[in-house]
Amino acid sequence: MHPDKIAIIDNDSKLTYSELHEEVNNFSSFLNKFPKNSVVSLLFDNTHEFVISYLGTINSGCIAHLIPTGISQKNLIEQISSAKPKLILASENHFSKIAEIESKNIEKLRFSEVKKTSYQDHKPQPSDYAYLIYTSGTTSSPKGVPVTHSNCVFTTANIVRTLQYSQDDIDVLPLPLSHSFGLGCLHTSFYVGSTLIIHKTTEIPQILDSIKNHHASTLAAIPSTLSKIVSNSFNDSSNILSDLRLIITNSTFLPPETTKKLKKILKNGKVATYYGLTEASRSTFMIFDDDDNIESVGKPSDGISLKLVSNNDESTIGEVWIKGHNVIDNYWSDEHTKENLVDGWLKTGDLGRIDDGGYLYILGRVDDLINVSGEKVYPQEIERVVKVLTGIDDVIAVPMKHEVFGEVVKLFVKKSIESDISKTDILTHCIKNLERFKVPAKIEFVEDFPRTDYGKIKRFMLK
Amino acid sequence: MTLDDDVKKVFLETFPSLSESDFEWSKTQKDYENWDSFAQLNLITLAEAKFEITFSDDEVISISSAKNLLERIKSHL
Repeated sequence: MHPDKIAIIDNDSKLTYSELHEEVNNFSSFLNKFPKNSVVSLLFDNTHEFVISYLGTINSGCIAHLIPTGISQKNLIEQISSAKPKLILASENHFSKIAEIESKNIEKLRFSEVKKTSYQDHKPQPSDYAYLIYTSGTTSSPKGVPVTHSNCVFTTANIVRTLQYSQDDIDVLPLPLSHSFGLGCLHTSFYVGSTLIIHKTTEIPQILDSIKNHHASTLAAIPSTLSKIVSNSFNDSSNILSDLRLIITNSTFLPPETTKKLKKILKNGKVATYYGLTEASRSTFMIFDDDDNIESVGKPSDGISLKLVSNNDESTIGEVWIKGHNVIDNYWSDEHTKENLVDGWLKTGDLGRIDDGGYLYILGRVDDLINVSGEKVYPQEIERVVKVLTGIDDVIAVPMKHEVFGEVVKLFVKKSIESDISKTDILTHCIKNLERFKVPAKIEFVEDFPRTDYGKIKRFMLK
Repeated sequence: MTLDDDVKKVFLETFPSLSESDFEWSKTQKDYENWDSFAQLNLITLAEAKFEITFSDDEVISISSAKNLLERIKSHL
């Protein structure tokens, strides 16, 4: 390792590995007043303060409860009530949110109020929880997902091995660190000793500047960020991206056109995606070496088993079940454990298909299936077809009750700014590209969608 | 474009395999191989979107030719 190497860069500062090490140990010393396995809730933007607080917490044997900054006050109170932290720590700009929470037994502090004390080592064990994230609740009430140190180490080693991260990398990260995708990238950078550049937002010009100015080698971003980057709005993006060795995204649908454009832009680099949940991080990887299987999320990583279950039997189309060292042992509440974990298998609630080559395709959520007169319709198939059209920002297909067919497809569409696409355009396109029973029977334009604290669309609220 | 042209276009878009020369206003549902209940739904949905109208359930059932469709649409405009 190189103590003087830059470990992390954010808007305000840079920290070397030795500086980060010292700051983390100081932070950990402060937490030694709490019993081991105490929960410490963290509410921060993507800053070095978050990184110190997070690493300091898990290094002290406490559990870092990660709160998304966009959280509503109602959800914040629910999460705090469930997590039962000893301490809630926030950055200055978010402190007012936690100040409003009423509780006699919870200490509430700003980052600047944390002081070094005499250090006493509370080293965690592999089976101890490292962090707790409440899943976004796109379909139901939030579930607390406690992830062990052992889960983290397995997943990080898996990422490093599959995507060949090294200490030579410079990693640009416009992803929230309170989310499993961003957090996994943070683990990866520090595991190999690379330099991590964190962004507070997904503003494209800032991301491109960062890649250019720091001569970055990898970029991790969600599909919508990547689609914007390769859109015609950013003329110089091709030159800036061309030297990246890796662009990694996650299992939310990456339009094939975006994948193809990115592959064309990269001189020697790879485009990759993965499938995983907070409960089972990075279960499959897909590196797009060619245009085959371009809509797949890949194959299971070593040490991870995957099966599809339909009507209690294994099938080639069905609910995705995952087992492996990346899978959590239990949820924060017993109720969720009983519902979703069976003999070490995690029932993901995602609907998948495996092709003859063993590649996994995510079709949607099991609960989201639309039953049109006995014909099963996967909402994502319709959404993918419609998203190809220019002038559409986002689209959601849901079931709508119908007297004759039982259910038919209803489409909610968010148009791009200044888009003049009409319902007729969308329907005509659907008729050309979908089987008749999949064609929406109703289309509604919306300004935006109801979203979770992480920005995911709450599909169930549209049904 | 006239209303007739617009309705004809809706019809041809609902049945992409139908060539313009095969189109006849008086041809009925049974003359079309592809005009099943799903096609009916597509036709109604597209017409409603195009002309910004809503058909009643009785109207939906009564539409069984391009001519019917034109008449029903006219009654809403």
